[in-house]
Order: sequence, then structure tokens, then C-alpha cells
Amino acid sequence: MGIGKTPPGGLPGHHDPDGRYLSDLLGNAGADAAMAAAVAGGGLPPIPGAAGSGGLTNAVDWVVGWARANSLWPLVFGTSCCAIEMMATGASHNDWARFGLEVARASPRQADLIILAGTIVEKMGSRLITLYEQMPGPKYVIAMGACTISGGPFYYDSYSVVKGADRLIPVDIYVPGCPPRPEALLFGVMKLQELIRKGAWRNSIVPRPINHSPIKDEMSETARLWEEKEKLKQEGMKEAQERFKADNPDFKGFVIKRIAAPKFDEVARVPRPARGISAAEMLAILTERFPALTVQSVPEASGEKIAALGSEYVLDAMVGRDDYHALVAFLKTDARLRLDFLIELTAVDWKDRFDVVVHLQSIEKGHKVFLRCALPHDAAPEIPTLTDLYSGADWHEREAFDFFGIRFAGHPDLRRLFLEDDFPGHPLRKDFQDPTRVVKRPY
Amino acid sequence: MPAPSQQSDVRGEGYALPPGFSLRETRADGSQEYFLNMGPQHPSTHGVLKLVVRLDGETVVEVVPHLGFIHRAIEKMGENETFVQYIHLTDRMDYLSSHINNLCVCMAIEKAMGIGVPERGEYIRVVVSELQRIQSHLLWWGAFGMDLGAVSAFLYGFKEREKITALFEELCGARLTMNFFRPGGSNADVPENFPARVKEILEDLKFSLDEFDVLVSKNPIIRERTLGVGALPRERAINYGCSGPVGRASGIDFDVRKHDPYSVYDRFQFDVPLGKHGDCYDRYMVRMQEMRESIRILEQAMASFPGGQYRSKEKPAYKVPAGSYYANVETARGLYATYMVSDNSFKPYRIKSRSPNLSNLSAINEMSQGGKIADLVAILSTLDLIIPDIDR
Amino acid sequence: MKAYAVNHPIGDMIRGMLPAPWAAAANGALAVGLIAGLVTVMAIFLIWLERKVCAHFQARLGPTRVGPFGLLQPIADAIKLLMKENLRPRGVDNLAYFLAPLLPITGSFLVLAVMPFDHDLQVVDLPAGVVYVVAVSGLGILGILIGGWGSNNKYSLLGSMRSGAQLFSYELSLVLCMLLIVMASGSASLREIVLAQQGTVLDWWIFKLPVAGLLAFALFMISSTAELNRGPLDLSEAESELTGGFHTEYAGISFSMFFLAEFVNMFASAGLGATFFLGGFLAPRFGVPPLDWALALLPGVVWFFVKVFALIFLYMWFRWTFPRLRIDHLLSLEWKFLLPVSLANLLLAATLITFKWMLP
Repeated sequence: MGIGKTPPGGLPGHHDPDGRYLSDLLGNAGADAAMAAAVAGGGLPPIPGAAGSGGLTNAVDWVVGWARANSLWPLVFGTSCCAIEMMATGASHNDWARFGLEVARASPRQADLIILAGTIVEKMGSRLITLYEQMPGPKYVIAMGACTISGGPFYYDSYSVVKGADRLIPVDIYVPGCPPRPEALLFGVMKLQELIRKGAWRNSIVPRPINHSPIKDEMSETARLWEEKEKLKQEGMKEAQERFKADNPDFKGFVIKRIAAPKFDEVARVPRPARGISAAEMLAILTERFPALTVQSVPEASGEKIAALGSEYVLDAMVGRDDYHALVAFLKTDARLRLDFLIELTAVDWKDRFDVVVHLQSIEKGHKVFLRCALPHDAAPEIPTLTDLYSGADWHEREAFDFFGIRFAGHPDLRRLFLEDDFPGHPLRKDFQDPTRVVKRPY
Repeated sequence: MPAPSQQSDVRGEGYALPPGFSLRETRADGSQEYFLNMGPQHPSTHGVLKLVVRLDGETVVEVVPHLGFIHRAIEKMGENETFVQYIHLTDRMDYLSSHINNLCVCMAIEKAMGIGVPERGEYIRVVVSELQRIQSHLLWWGAFGMDLGAVSAFLYGFKEREKITALFEELCGARLTMNFFRPGGSNADVPENFPARVKEILEDLKFSLDEFDVLVSKNPIIRERTLGVGALPRERAINYGCSGPVGRASGIDFDVRKHDPYSVYDRFQFDVPLGKHGDCYDRYMVRMQEMRESIRILEQAMASFPGGQYRSKEKPAYKVPAGSYYANVETARGLYATYMVSDNSFKPYRIKSRSPNLSNLSAINEMSQGGKIADLVAILSTLDLIIPDIDR
Repeated sequence: MKAYAVNHPIGDMIRGMLPAPWAAAANGALAVGLIAGLVTVMAIFLIWLERKVCAHFQARLGPTRVGPFGLLQPIADAIKLLMKENLRPRGVDNLAYFLAPLLPITGSFLVLAVMPFDHDLQVVDLPAGVVYVVAVSGLGILGILIGGWGSNNKYSLLGSMRSGAQLFSYELSLVLCMLLIVMASGSASLREIVLAQQGTVLDWWIFKLPVAGLLAFALFMISSTAELNRGPLDLSEAESELTGGFHTEYAGISFSMFFLAEFVNMFASAGLGATFFLGGFLAPRFGVPPLDWALALLPGVVWFFVKVFALIFLYMWFRWTFPRLRIDHLLSLEWKFLLPVSLANLLLAATLITFKWMLP
């Protein structure tokens, strides 16, 4: 499809229902057929205007287009995986300096191009809009990778990923891939150069803020259309095959040899004994001090029962809320245990209760212990903080507060860790629902 | 929610500190501290980390990191995908250790289902993990050089890394997000020329590592800028849960490969490099040493690379019995763990990944206090952060 | 104006054909043309050179797509920067913000006014040329300071404060190096300084004063790198720390002024280095008559540029090899090391000159 012949209303799949960005993009594009042909051929467009009016203007336009196309200074902007491939594009093997792109500017004031390398989430979205607005026009955007095109692998079920960066700022070139190879990005850059040489440019567009209307599942819709198209194609193929057979009655067909899929035998698992003191011993030490302690999924646990669970088993103890802090303090300080390393602290939502899960390890002795503490399932369950014992618990507890709404009494700075302060609800709770952010997986 | 004390005035003139900062004495000489936002778009935060820095001139008084600018809800998504499908999401967390992340999920599933791994499969796992570690450290080395102003180092690091990336591409078709390991082994066997390629890469690498030492490790400016900068004592590092090269630079003798070995790591001879002071220089040297140790492991593994089947019998999906399962590995950045809870179905009820970066970063305030802005950049660089791994 | 011994045959011949007042006027016009035209083109060429040199240091190719060897790359950049939207960020100090980019480039062009490109190829030969150079090069510092102040951005402010501290400090050892040369040549006129180095290569000040000359050259190179705000001493820009330093908020044409000034400055600084230490426009002589005669065939201006580009390459080599210093290390390097060494070197040179302990 020629760029100049795009119907008003935008390309299908492009989040531009009113054609605002596209019409702006094409506002300056000449519909000159010769120019389009030259561009399609890969060369520079001819300097137009030797004949006809406006020759000088066209020549100036040509020079300016040439300069802009060959001097794209990208903004240093990368959020995730694609950023590594973007850097690889700048590195010795691919060297985007060949196209004059190596002047990567850290300040948006001096940049011409944002390569959206990596997922854009809602919290970053507003910052991205600011960055875009800080750039002087004319400015260009390349959406690199599936995430910035449509949300990619994070389209379904994610409550934070923006489903396509073009919902926020206008995008000129889409480079698909997860992540795209450096060659693909360079191809995208060359396509952008073609577009600029044709005279397409935009200036001072007001980007769209994130709007929280319910999201339609466009991905499934696209997949359905694709399947329909495939079905038609298949039917066409069948027809063609039959026609071919009718025309060539002697044709016996190709011989297709299939390579047999290799068969694999089952392999017995070799257990790796847990390090340090065994789970049974640990249970003995703990129950001596905390008789109310139980073991997860082992009712009326005893040393023999635990030992029967195998050498790989790590004690998964269940403790009451009142004993929780004292138990962790005991685990940390007791000379036999010395569990001084907090691996992680998290929670599980069991619909009728929350389990706060603590994983501890001893650096010296190597053994681990898992703890659980059940909390009632209400709006703001509360549990004592562990920050006085482990400084590292600070962020883990903030994360649990962010995701589950569990309050940690005595925490010095209990704020949300990842999400914006005004995010509605706590997303990892099983009853979390937000049709304005989440697209439910259709299968 | 900020605690009430956070909101009170420092100077009694309606001057409140931004959230996360602790209170200090008002400065006696009438001069003012100020706050500087670094990030989320800043060249030295390596992604979208935001640091609010409280500065006295150029001296850092306090640092408050803000996270979540790349929080993609991977754990929530995992609850709606099968256990095997979760593997591909871990690629996108710590994308420089994607093989090792995949391995961790596979190990958790293997533990739950009692799946064994054939000899060749285990060796493939070790070899690929160590190659991944080296390429991650190479990228870190380059980025470290760039953060400290030696831009050429960045390109040299990438140049070496590209060789390993090309090998990975031959192996699994991807350069970054591998999705290669499966419960019971790996997705595919290694190509025929794999041992020769690995040998070639290792030879090149030994030479380049010596060159890197001349260019950066022995450079007086680098030593000046890293020695004694951002020191983290051992006790504090343990308390913060620092692991990997960051923890080991502080003297924590803890490497999952050595002290809680998985796969066939216990068959190889290698040392765990340790630092003494936990400063930027130690963190730098620990990583440089680790690359050499990885080369040692790889040489031993390639010398005894076994034949046979590379994986055990496969299944498209696993119905994991109810219970909770835990597996941990040593990524290029430290202790990475997968904790999964199953309610006897094909999909995890809750799945959680322990990010080494989260714990390592949480110590940044303590490390950078009293240093300069340039020191903060050096500290961030030697922490070797991958922000999507922190945010998940 | 004093008549100088002119030792270049072709230049002599051309000048000899013109009557005296015409010759002087022709020289002046040529010098102005050279500065206004050639130096601007040269700065653009330097941008290309920097990118190419850096690329080859880094095992890359650098710009290749625009023009032969990518030579037109900086021209494309220049046109693009001119055609960019002109921004005025919210809250800037108008006067400071728009005046600042003009000052550094003015300063560096003013330095070029006393630069002897060749015998007589000089806009004006001030008797106190060195003093003038030191004075006008201060304009650049002023530009950076008010630009950082007027930008209403903390990064800019930090960058400009850093550069204030850095430039004022390094000015000291730079001036001491210049003083040494003035002392040795017995004149503060740049042309006199060059002409004092006539003779063989060993008569250049870098070799003529044993040890002191070489040391002064090394000090000059270090201090001028700091004065130029170039890596490893580019503290005021420090991309990995301050995003863009003092020019964080500048866009389009204002930014291109800073950008261009950096390269004109580098040219001026290398020109001073060549003038002070490497015999300026003098053709190198080795005391071997046929070789000397052959080398002298090239006009002085060519030799000047050869020497300047050698020094510029040295600057680029520094930049793409070393990591950046920290601000306090940078200042203590100057005040605790370079400045005492410069002073001691000055004393040494004075002793050498007094007792005529120089190379023959």
C-alpha cells in the first residue's frame, strides 16, 4: 500500500481512529509519483522542480529532507530486553554509526528519534509522554519489538503494560520481533529515512494521555480475521491442487520423508540432599521453643514423618501471627540455626486466607527453612514487620503490601513498591479485576 | 502510605521531605540541600530506574530508589499460563541470564514431578549457563567502562559478547530471549560443531580478558574511582540479602553453584572469588575473576562432554501435585529462586521469582551516602542492575 | 610593522609580485577569509574526523552513507540542527539562555585572530598576543557558566558549576606553560614565538629546553584538554552522570553553537600547542640539506595544519581511551600536582635559559 494512498481513518490495527497522526504525517508528503517510485527503488528521490513552479522550494525541501534523514540522533531510551539489541545495533558488529545514528543523546532536547526499546508500562507511560514533548520537532518514533507494538507477550492478563505505545505517542515505524534482531532495527531505520526523504514530518503533536476505558480484545479479533484469511487460502490451495492433478494425470506426487521424532526414555531423578541440619532436626529445635508450630501439609508432624519425606525436603513450618516475629528472631539468632539470610518474603492468596511466606537461609551452614503465617482474608490484614531483623525485608514487605494489601506493623516506610500510588486495588489478589487495564485471555 | 513522621517539616517552614527520605538535622550554616531526580530516563540507571538523590553540593546525602517503571505483571500472568509456559516469561526478567532463569523454573518443575535429567542434558545446562554468565559479565564490563567515561570499553565488551550471542543463536535460534531449557533437559540438542565453537570462543576470550585488564583493570583512573567507593561490609550485605558478585565482593562466601550445587556443578573444580571490602573495585575484580572461573568450568565440561540422549521423556504440560516447590540457581547477578504453589492443576496457583537485583539494589542508600554523584554512578554500575528483573 | 625574514620561496614570489601595501592587505584578507571560511569548514571536518577516529578506535566503521566516506555527515547534522524547532524551556532566564551559546564560539574565533597560520598570514600580530589569548578564551567559560545558570535545570547547574571550578583551576597551569614559552622566546607575540624556533627540529621549544620543554608540553596538553572540556576531563558534560551537563536544555541551533565551539576550540588549542612547542608554521628541518629543501617546498600553512592535526589526533586518542575523572580528583590533580609541577618547571626553565643550558 502506498503511503500516500492511505484511506482517511488510518491503517487497520493502527490506534488512530480519527486519522489525526496519519494525516499530520502525510501533511507534507508529496504525492509525486516519480518521487515515490524513486524511493521505492531504494535511491534518493530526484531533485524535483526543474520544470514547473516551486522548483526552488522543492530543492530546499529535498536538501532538508536529506539532512533530516541522514542525521537521526536517537534518545538514550531503553526499558528492557530490546534495549540490549538496540545497543548491539550500535556496537561494532552492526554499527548504526554508518547511518549517522551514533550520536545518541541523553537529553531529549537534542534528540530527533525515540527508539522505544522495550515494554512501556503505565507508570512509564506518563514519563514517555513528557520525554516526547520535550523533544523539539520534527521528531520520529520507532516502536521496537512486540511489546511496544501491541503489548506483545504481555498483552493478556497484564494489568500494567500499555497495549501498544501508539496509544500514547504517534509511532512512525514498527519493527516486530521479540526482540528484533539488530538487522531488523537497521531496516526500520532505513524505512524511516525513506519516509523522511519523502517529506513526512510532524511537529508539536499533543500526545494522548493514558485513558482508562475498558480495553477491547483486539488481539483475538486479529487472530480470528487471520484464521478466516488462512481458511480462504487453504481452500484456494485445494482448488489449485485439484486443477493441477486434473492437468497432470501422470503426476505421482512428491515423496515426503518425515524425520521421525526422537524418542526419549524416562530418567530417574537423583535427589539432592538438602544442606545443613535436616528438616527433622530443625523441627525438633523449633517445637522445643514453639510448641504451637505446625508443618504445612504434614498433619501432626513428627521427626519420622518428616524424615520420610526424603532428603530433598525443606521444612515448611506454619506459625501463628503472635509467634511470627519471635520465631523469626529466634531463627536468626539461635546458634544452631543462624538463619541470617532472607531469601524472599511474599504472600499467597488462598481466597479464604493469606499466607505470608518467608524463606530463610543460613550462609554459614547452608540450610534453609520456609515459614508461613496465615492471615485473615480482609481488606487490610496486618502482621509484624521483619525490617528490624533483616534490612532486606523492607522492599519485600513493600512488594507484598503493593500486591496483596498486607500491612506490616512497624514498617518504617510502607508505600507501594512498584505501582502508582493511585492504582486501584491489589493486583495479585485472586479477586482483582480491572477491565480498563486487563485483557482476559480468551482460552 | 508514608508514616506520619515522614510528612513533618524539617525546617518548620512548610518544607516537607519527599516520601522515603528520613529526617536529619537542619543544616546550621543556612545552606540548603537539594533533590535531584535521576531517571527513569538516565544513561547510568541502565533502564528505567528512578533515583531521587538528596545532595549537599555534589555530595550524596541520601538516595531513595523508585521502582516499577517496567513492572510488567509477570507473576500475575504466570497464574494463567501452564508451568512450562512460564519459562518464556522468565527470559524477559533478567534477559542477560535468560538461560539460567529458564533452568530455575525447569528445576522447580522437575522437583515437583520427579523428573530426572540425562547426563548430556546436565552438561548442556552447565555449559550454556556458564556461557551465559560470561556474556552477561562481558556486557556489564562494557557498560561499566561507559559509565565511568571509557566509551570504547563498551564496544570492546560487546564485540566479545557477540561471539557468544551468535553461538546461542545457532543453539536455540534466539539471541536474547532463549526459552531453551525444558523440564528433563533442553529443547534441542547442541549442534555438531558446538564443542569446537566453544573452544574457539574460550581461546579468544582468554586473550581479550588480558587485554581488558590492561585497558581498564590496571588503569589508575579506574582504580582511583573504585577503590574504597561504595563499601558494603559483610554483615550489612547479608542483612540486605545481597548475593552474587555483589555479596561475594563483601566477603559472603556464598555461591549456589558451590554451596548448594545443582545440575552437575559439583563435578567441576572452580573457586569462588571473594572480595574483602565490598567496594566498587572488589565488585569489579570479583566479576573479572568469575569470568576466568567460568572458563575453567567450561574447559572441564567440554573435556568430558558425554553423548547419549539430551533430555528425558517430554510432556507438553505437567499437572503438578498440590504443594509448594522451590528451586534456586546462581545467575550472573546472584541467587535467583522460583517459588511455585500448585493446587493440583496445569497452571500455577501462585508463582514467584526471587530477584537478586532487588535485594542488591536495596543496599544502595547505605553504599552511596557521603560519596559524590560520580560515585553513585560507579556504584550503580558495579551493582550490575537489570531493572526488569527487579520490577518483574 | 617589522619585516620578517621570509624563508618560503613560493610565498615570497607571490608576495614579491605585489606592491608592499597590497601585499599586506592581501595577507590580512586571506587570513580573515581563512579564519571565517576555512576554520568553520575545518570544524565541520573535525566533527567528521572525531567520529571516524572514534569509530576506528572502537572497531567500527563510522559514518559511511552520506557522501564519500561519510564526509557529508556533519553537514547533514548541521542542516538538521538549523531546521529544528527552537525551544524555550519553561522557566529559563531569557538573556542568559540565548546569550550563552554565542560566547564560547566568539571566544574561540577571537583566539584565532592572533594565530599565525603562515609568515604574514595572520589577522593581527599583537605584541601581547599570549595575554590576549588568555583573556579571550575566558569568554568560553563565561558562556558555559551562564548557560548552565540560565537553563533552569539542576543538571545544567551542576555541570556549569563543575566547569567553572575546573576551567579556572586549569587556566593556572596552562598560563604557566605559556609563560615559560614567553620567557624562552623573549616575546609575547605569537609570531615572534614561532620565529624564535627557527633552525632545525631541535630548536623547537619542546626539544630545545631539555626536560623542561617536554614537561611543559605534557602539562599544556593535559591542561588544555581540561580547558576544552574533552574526555577524560569532560566533567561539565559527563553524559553518564549529568545527561548533558551544561547543555542539557539546549536544542537545535543553540546546541549546535556549543557543539561547533567545542571543535573550533580544539582547533585553536591545538594551534596554540603547535605554535608554542612545535615551531608553528615552520617547516621541520633536520640539518640534511636535500631533505630540508624538499620539506620547505610545502607552504608554512600546510605545515601548520599538519602539526595541528597531529595534536588533535592526540586529543582524540585521550578521549577515546581514558575513563573520566571524578570532580574532586580532577581538582586535586590540578592544585596538588600540576600546579606545583608547573611552577617548578618554570623555575627549571628560567635556570636553563639564564645559564644557556639549551640544545645548540
